[in-house]
Parts: sequence; C-alpha cells; structure tokens
Amino acid sequence: MLIDGLLIGGLIIVVGIGFSLCFGVMHIVDFAVGEWVMLGAYTGFILVRYFGHDPMIYLPIVFLIFCALGWAIYPLIYRAVSGKRHNPVLMGLVFTFGLSILAKGGALSVWGYHIQSITTWLSGKSLALGPLTIPALRFSGFLFGILITLLLMLFLYKTRLGITIRATAQDREMANLLGTDVRKVGALVYSLYAGVTGMSGILIGALFSIHAAMGVKYCTMAFFVVVLAGMGYVPGVIIAGLILGLLQSFVGVYIGGRYNLLALFMVMYGVLLITPKGILRRGI
Amino acid sequence: MKKRMLQKMAVFGLITLMVGVMNLHSAQAQEKRDFFKVGVVTSLSGELVFGGTVTKRGYDMWADTVNQQGGIEIAGKKYKVTLVYADDQSTPATAAVAGERLITQEKVDFILGPYASGPTLALAPITEKYKMPHITGSAESPLIWKRKFKYTFGTIPSVNLTAQGIIQTLAQDVSPKPKTIGILGIDDPFSKFTAEAFKAASEKLGLKVLKYEIVPEGSDYTPAITSIKAVNPDIFAMGNHEKAAIEMMKIAKELRFNPKAFVQHYGMTTPDFRKGLGKDCEYVFGNAVWTPNMKHQSTILFKTTKEYADAFVAKFKTDPDYTEAGSTAAGIAFQEALRMIKATPPLTDAQKDALIGALEKLNIMTFYGQIKFATEGDSYHCNAGLQPVALQYQGGKTVEVGPGKLRTVAPKYPTPSWDKR
Repeated sequence: MLIDGLLIGGLIIVVGIGFSLCFGVMHIVDFAVGEWVMLGAYTGFILVRYFGHDPMIYLPIVFLIFCALGWAIYPLIYRAVSGKRHNPVLMGLVFTFGLSILAKGGALSVWGYHIQSITTWLSGKSLALGPLTIPALRFSGFLFGILITLLLMLFLYKTRLGITIRATAQDREMANLLGTDVRKVGALVYSLYAGVTGMSGILIGALFSIHAAMGVKYCTMAFFVVVLAGMGYVPGVIIAGLILGLLQSFVGVYIGGRYNLLALFMVMYGVLLITPKGILRRGI
Repeated sequence: MKKRMLQKMAVFGLITLMVGVMNLHSAQAQEKRDFFKVGVVTSLSGELVFGGTVTKRGYDMWADTVNQQGGIEIAGKKYKVTLVYADDQSTPATAAVAGERLITQEKVDFILGPYASGPTLALAPITEKYKMPHITGSAESPLIWKRKFKYTFGTIPSVNLTAQGIIQTLAQDVSPKPKTIGILGIDDPFSKFTAEAFKAASEKLGLKVLKYEIVPEGSDYTPAITSIKAVNPDIFAMGNHEKAAIEMMKIAKELRFNPKAFVQHYGMTTPDFRKGLGKDCEYVFGNAVWTPNMKHQSTILFKTTKEYADAFVAKFKTDPDYTEAGSTAAGIAFQEALRMIKATPPLTDAQKDALIGALEKLNIMTFYGQIKFATEGDSYHCNAGLQPVALQYQGGKTVEVGPGKLRTVAPKYPTPSWDKR
C-alpha cells in the first residue's frame, strides 16, 4: 500500500512539475495540461506504430517535438495574457481552456474514438522485493518524475538562464527593466513545460490507455498538486505528489475507493483555508 | 404616446401571428413527408464517445439496410427511414435537452436511445412527457426498467440478469469449484449495477464475497486492486466500460494478481479490449447476450446471425459486438411494430400510442435472437427473449463456455499465473 502510494505519487509529480513551473513563472493556469499529456501519448503511439521500437526510446524525441510546439504556441498565449487586457490570469485561463477543447476535438477527429494502448518492455514486469511486488513501469515513472524534478531544479538554481527565469518569476517588471527579455523567458518556460508534460504522456499511455478524453483527470491532478505544493513552488511538487499518492492509496484501501476524490478535495480545501501558500508555505 | 404604443403592439402582434402561421405552414409541410424520421440520441463526443459510436454503427446498419431494401413495407408501400442524430455529449443533462430538441423541433416519429444508462435515465422522462416511443439498443441498468417508463423499451436484457451467466458457469461448471470472489465496480449506473449483479449472483450461488469495492471513473484503480489482491479471492470480477476494462487488467498484471478467474462484462467483448491487451486478454471471462457465432435465423432484414455479421464487417471493417447487434435490433423492433399497426409517416399522437401497444405485443425472431418486451415486473419493457451466455478468450477469440447447454467449448480454468503464460 505504501509502495502503491509512492508510485502513484511519482506519476502525479510527472504531470504536476511542468504545470507548477508554468504557473510559477508565467502565472498561466494552463487548462490544457491534460491535453499535452494526451497529445504526448498519441505521439508516442504513432511513433511506435510507424517506426517500431520501444516507446521509451522516443521520450527525448517527444520532448523535442513538444518543446517546439510549446515554443510555437507561446506567442498566442503571450498575446492573450498581455497588452491592455484587464485580467491577464483570467485571459490565460480562457485561452488555454479553448486550447484544451481544440486539442480534444482535434484528437477525436484525427485518431477517432478507439481506445489505444502502447506497450513497453517494462509493461507487465515487476520487481519482487520479498513479499512486495513493485510494478516496473510505475517504478520507472516514479524515478522519471524525481529525475525530471531534480534536473529542473538544477537548471533553475545552478544555471544563469535558470536564475533569469526565477528572477522573472519573482518580479516580472523589474526583470524586464534590468534587460531580461521576459517574452523569450516565457516562451522557454512554456516550451519546457510542454516538453516535459508531453513526454509524461508516453509513460501514462503505457500504464493506462490512450483516448481523446484522457486529459481531464490529469488536469485535476495537476491542480491538486500545485495547490498542495504551493503555487509555483517547483521543489514542493515532489512532496505534494507523494502525499497525494499516499492519500489515494490509504483512502482506497482503508476507507474505500469511492471516497478518494472526496478526500483529495477535502485536503485541497483544507490547504487553501489554512495555508494558501501550500504545505511548505513557499508558494505565491 | 398611448396611440404609438398601441401601434407598436399591433405591429408586434402581426409579426407574431405571421411567424406562427409560417411555423404552422412548415409544420404542415413536414406532415406530408413519406419517410420515417427517426431521432437518435447518443454520445458522439465526451467520455463515452467510443460506446456512442458503437450504438451509431448499430443504428446506421439498420437504417442503411432498410433503405437498401427500399424501406419499411407498410400496406404495400415502402417508406424509407432517415436518422436524425443528437449528441448527448456523454452527460445525462444534455441527453434530456437533445431528446427534447428532436421531439419539439425535428418532430421525429420515434427515438433510438443512448449508449449509456445515465443518459438513458435522463432521456426517458422526456420521452414520457412528450409520449414519444423510445427504444435503447444499449443501456443495461436495471434502474431504467424498475421505474416502469411507459414509452421506453430496451433490446438488451438488464445487467442484473445477464451478469448471472458467467457467475453461474464458474460456480457450477468448473473444477475445482471457486469458493470466493472479489468485486470491483466503477461508480456509474451500468458498471455499479454490474458489480451489484455479480455480488447478488455470487451470494445466491454460495460464493463468499471477500471484497466489494466501488470506485470513481477515471481514478487510479491500483489501490482498489491491491486491496482485493490482499484478500486473495478465487474470482476477480469487474464492473466497467471498455476503457477501465483494459486499465484494470493492466494493473492486475503489474501487481502480479493471480486469481483463478478474471471476470468482466461489457468491455471484454469489444475489439479494443483485444487490441489494447494483446495476449493478456487470454483466459478473461465475460458475458454477452449475443455473439456473431450464434445461429439465430429470421425472416426480417437479416436471415441469419452470420449474414448480419458479414454485412457488418463489410461495412465497418470490424466485428460487431452485442451492443451493435442490440442497436440494430432496436430499429427492427420499431419496424415490425409499425407494420403491425400499419402506421405511415409522419406518426400522429394516436399512432405513437398504438406503437407502444404494438411493441408490448411484439414477439419476433431476429438475427439477434428473440425480441419480446416484458410487460410487468422489475424488467418492465426490457427484452425478456434472450439468455445470457458466458464467454472466455481462448486463442484470441471469444468462445461460449456456458452456462449449461450454451457451452460450445470447455472453459479454461484455473487461469495460469502471469509468470506461466
């Protein structure tokens, strides 16, 4: 049960990490987060169908494809959230909500309603540790989540570009006055976010199933994790993801699976009421 | 001032009258059509689009075949059918709105119903309100029939009856006999009742229910399956639709959960289940009221089950499952009831009521099997003419393994563990 919880947490981290970065730096609540997962899963599925090989091989390719997509879409988002508009956060929300509907509808038109699945060499394999059975694919998802978070933290804290991104997140106007091209920083962050989230689609597609409407639950999950971690606080995503995974696992076993969402919402409301900056009090 | 107001009111009144007359004229123009206008409410978008498309294929199969044969023959003249689709977007509230639009604006003669039980339960009160005949070719929740809607019928027997087939087969026809069962269901009207039906059938047949879990759709099913694995049941039964059916099997494999039998209901009969799981679908048990291998014979539309299956494969490049067959059969039920009362399009209110009477008296043999709607009891207006058959994946195909005389192949039991496959 503990292992289950940690492994579910690993998946939540994978989806939440990019979302948190995107919110923290650009203050964009991206409603299309689940659709990036869905499109990533479909891209992996198509690459496997046409070129064969294990889907895991395509992780870097999907990352690059989605980075490019994010980079291409960002000017539109920038246009929606900047300029003379009164409420940029709301504009961003509406714009990405539209993107999400477009992506869902587009996927349905292009790939149809059939439920697809991808299989990796890790699918169905498990590691036996005494009486414990650890699903290999979930475990690799967990490691992937931790690794991506650590890499992102290294990038944000140890590189010049990362420091520029953090400075922009802290005070956008000041960073702009000091010569930072905030538009370019935004584009970089959005493409990073799209790349990481799209890449997670391959893992999720291999674990579950792929269909046009699969994104909704990951959008909800990303919101939970960002509220718990503290909005925009990237390192908090690991702890928040693990807490949410453990919560789901324990509620599922001891109280009943039907109370899972209730428990998650109660925790989210509790955090928003008691400590709106997240459990570590480091969010915005 | 008062005069101007009166003038304005007069002009407004005149415009309203003109619009009314135009509407009446167009309504009268519609009255003269010589084809049946059939409303279809189903899920063409949203979470249930897979199932919605399954029903659409079944309904299209009926309409296209009828039209290819010149139409429905009534009193020596043939009347074609036109399907008018309305998307319920996979939500009950939209199903009700879509149904109301078909009835009040499109003025359809009768309605073929949604894929899922939730939208069907929302549509049924609307068809009741407008006294509109409605047959669902897919919904299976017993809740629909317990509410005794006068204008709603269904071709697929309710899940509390069909789910018994596989439990009966496992409890009585395999050796060594299983003693325990763990049940996991999704929280929607169909899946939850499937799980409840598995539970009721198990208790009736002396199987001990070790764990009974209902979880929300779209959640991660790992904790629930872990908790069922912990009690080590002989049978693991799942109430779900096609997507969760695939995901639950994947999780069971990852967790190395090795019950003696995996039991599903609807999901396992879909081609996506086979494609999604590959060889892991092998040994999975399930239920159906119809398979393309059946040997039903009929004089209506399709002479045999095989003829239907072949025509379906030629048209859609995939095998039909029982929901598609049930949807086609819903159209056939309407067509035969119309013939019985010799009703020609467009149907009047009196003819729609007569159609309900004819559907209640209907007793026909089709490629899908017998259609005979119950007229009393908890299965009111649900098809009582079919028997559930237990299925199992053997060699990549579903084969009939029971119960009793319905067996064509012996069930493979117990299921080998994941490591030994």
